[in-house]
Amino acid sequence: MAVITDTTPLDGMGHRQDPVAVYEKHRQELARSKMGQTILMIALFLGLLIFSVVTSQFFPERLAQAGGRLFEYFGTIMPNLEWDKLFLGRDEQGRAIEGSLTFWYTDLDKYLALIWETILMAITATLLGTAGALALCFAGSRNLMSNSWIYFFTRRFMEICRGVPEILIALIFVFAFGIGPLAGILAVAIHSAGALGKLFAEVNENVSQRPIDGIRGVGGNWFEQMRYGVLPQVLPNFVSYGFLRFEVNVRASSIIGFVGAGGIGQELNRVISFYSDDRVLAVLILVVLTVTVIDLISERLRLYFIGKEQL
Amino acid sequence: MLEINGLSKHFTATKAVDDVSLSIPDGQMVGIIGRSGAGKSTLLRMLNRLADPTAGSIDFKGQNVASIKGSELLKWRSECAMIFQQFNLVGRLDVITNVLTGRMYHHGFASSMLKLYSPAERAFAIHALDRLTMAHTAMQRADTLSGGQQQRVAIARALVQEPKILLADEPIASLDPMNAKVVMDALRAINQEDKITVVCNLHTLDTARRYCDRVVGMAGGKVVFDGSADELTMDVAREIYGAELGDFTEEMTSTDLSALGKSAAATAVDGQKLAS
Amino acid sequence: MATLTAADGVTVRSLADVSKDQVAAARAGNPDAFGSARRSMLVYGAWASAFLYLVFAFWYFDFARMFQPSENAQRLLAAMFRWQDMAEWQYGNIYRGIAETLAMAFLGTFLASIVALFVGFLAARNIVRFPVFRHGVRRILDVFRGVDQLVWALVFVRAVGLGPLAGVLAIFISDIGTLSKLYSEAIENIDRKQVEGVKATGAGPVRTIRFGILPQVFPVFLSQSLYFLESNTRSATILGIVGAGGIGMIIIERFRATLYDQVVFVVINVLILVAIIDWVSKKIRMKFIGEVGH
Repeated sequence: MAVITDTTPLDGMGHRQDPVAVYEKHRQELARSKMGQTILMIALFLGLLIFSVVTSQFFPERLAQAGGRLFEYFGTIMPNLEWDKLFLGRDEQGRAIEGSLTFWYTDLDKYLALIWETILMAITATLLGTAGALALCFAGSRNLMSNSWIYFFTRRFMEICRGVPEILIALIFVFAFGIGPLAGILAVAIHSAGALGKLFAEVNENVSQRPIDGIRGVGGNWFEQMRYGVLPQVLPNFVSYGFLRFEVNVRASSIIGFVGAGGIGQELNRVISFYSDDRVLAVLILVVLTVTVIDLISERLRLYFIGKEQL
Repeated sequence: MLEINGLSKHFTATKAVDDVSLSIPDGQMVGIIGRSGAGKSTLLRMLNRLADPTAGSIDFKGQNVASIKGSELLKWRSECAMIFQQFNLVGRLDVITNVLTGRMYHHGFASSMLKLYSPAERAFAIHALDRLTMAHTAMQRADTLSGGQQQRVAIARALVQEPKILLADEPIASLDPMNAKVVMDALRAINQEDKITVVCNLHTLDTARRYCDRVVGMAGGKVVFDGSADELTMDVAREIYGAELGDFTEEMTSTDLSALGKSAAATAVDGQKLAS
Repeated sequence: MATLTAADGVTVRSLADVSKDQVAAARAGNPDAFGSARRSMLVYGAWASAFLYLVFAFWYFDFARMFQPSENAQRLLAAMFRWQDMAEWQYGNIYRGIAETLAMAFLGTFLASIVALFVGFLAARNIVRFPVFRHGVRRILDVFRGVDQLVWALVFVRAVGLGPLAGVLAIFISDIGTLSKLYSEAIENIDRKQVEGVKATGAGPVRTIRFGILPQVFPVFLSQSLYFLESNTRSATILGIVGAGGIGMIIIERFRATLYDQVVFVVINVLILVAIIDWVSKKIRMKFIGEVGH
């Protein structure tokens, strides 16, 4: 037979206290002890908010003004399409007819070439970045690298690689190696190596030690322990992360041209900065479409490869 | 001859292995018994040098393997095969590759990284699997096998190492009685037929009695008994297992079906299969 | 006692004893173990195509340029390690820029979180039962997310002019897209039993959300917003490159003026700022998720 033990505290006279009063007392004590901290937090938060609003001049009249101009701008970049002319080709003089899709996308060939370049940039950067991450991740895993100096420096190196924004690295490489996709690829690859290296190392830190011990037991050196003991365990995760990174890299490659590092970004920057017409939307739509399609393909491949083993 | 002298392993607070000296002649099958935490595992791992000794020496054929480093250490590990309680196979690799890892020491960097093993090595690996009636699983992933099958693959891996000594750390502790018998039979056969020294950690007395030429009892990191299985009296067993209870029996430590008085037909069938 | 004998009755104890016949027999018995043609073709094919692709890419993108010593590269490299005239670096400007970056990231993330709080519920399957409406919301979010933050910044610079306001708006818009999606996913993953418990007390839809759902998702929301604050501080650094305010404007200005040592100094400062935010947000996360969660 179960007995519910009465844990209500007794007062000095040995009488049971009123439970509601006990609860209220506790609640008030708790609230009081937290009050100071809460007030401080709120004050800090409000201070930061006010500072941010003032610094960025986030004021109603400016916003209203901005809103108006924004709609105006979006109006100017809308394409001028007419139903009856929509699918007309070029006329006898080889000019596109205003109001047709051909007119809107006059420069389609150029855009497509740049998008192709963007995708190649992303593939190359992902391959190089993954290779770099693969080279770094084992030395950057606590459980696999017994030399704490190598571990420490590998970790810091990866942090620097992923800490500096790609665009900034690209800016530097454009200056060093000249305008063009090479700078973009290197920038994206370095950033990927750092970001993937960290993810890979986290996967490594969760592997089972037993296969590694098994390989150690037959006389395998460190590289063999990694190759046979760790790699088979982590490879599906690595492949999955690699594909996810590829999706991220397509996005990165599409804007890295803003600083002259190749890809469609160069054109995007040019049309947005120098024109206020339908070209802006034409390029934007292509970019968003590319990114979406690549995401879908990459997801399919990812699921396909996760099912496979022993690559 | 394997000469162990004053071998110790100290952790900050505890002495896992404390001043152990043993001399094991070639071709002997030694069973080390003791309860969990007695230091059996640490002792075996030090012999294979998976763990570094704090003090003492291990002499094998005129070399002190307790202090070797680098490529010599890897060579020693390749000659001194190890069987683990949890098999320690690479689950995601197929069985044949797991066995071939036993040849790893004889390969250069590139060929081992690319898994380039010669046809002769592959035939040797299949032959080793065949001896353990596991050849049909060669292309399966190791983690699709049962525990007993995995342990047999691990023994095949040890065989292709062409070891001089075979260490087995609780090889049957994770297995059911039937598979335990298969694995112990295989270890004994390797000892008898291939003339390989076998040092085997066991926590059951009857297994040690049945399979080993010599039994070493450990308690608290020290050797408390060293002799033939017949010399092992109930009092000594009590000391080894630290049992204060008066009704201690050998069967209490047993995992064998026959110890329950039921010599299961399954055991016999399995034994036949291995013999056929 | 059982014996260990192979099926053919011959026991091979060492690799040297393996005869040619035995290799042939083993190969006949287990052809796949010797590397099936199809599988090795696949594996080597994959490696070869990756390698060939890289060779092509190195040629196509002219990787050789990397190894031609350019004067620019040398000057850059030298400036990274040799800092000159440190007394005249206008630290006031630099730290004002960093403060501006932090302000942009904070305000953008804060506003986006508030909007996402509502939009997230509108896009969650278990809250809004009209699929058409929900999908409409989701497609708009896709557009917000699909266009890169830097592109938004460029567009807002055109619309509202140079300065941090464009940056705040860019962060705001692109984060609405991402945060709303994450929030709605968190809402879809809640424990239904707790919601039913609140409903059983007779609560209406708004109260059900307030007491049944919000306590469950708030910690997730908070930690995601904090994570975005950190990531936005990083990205706010580069918004200035297109003129949307913050430290990026100072970086690009000094870069153009070939003051590379100052660029390195600024970047190091930004990295430190991001590390601090990372640390603070970890503390806040621990505090809120650890004890309160309401």
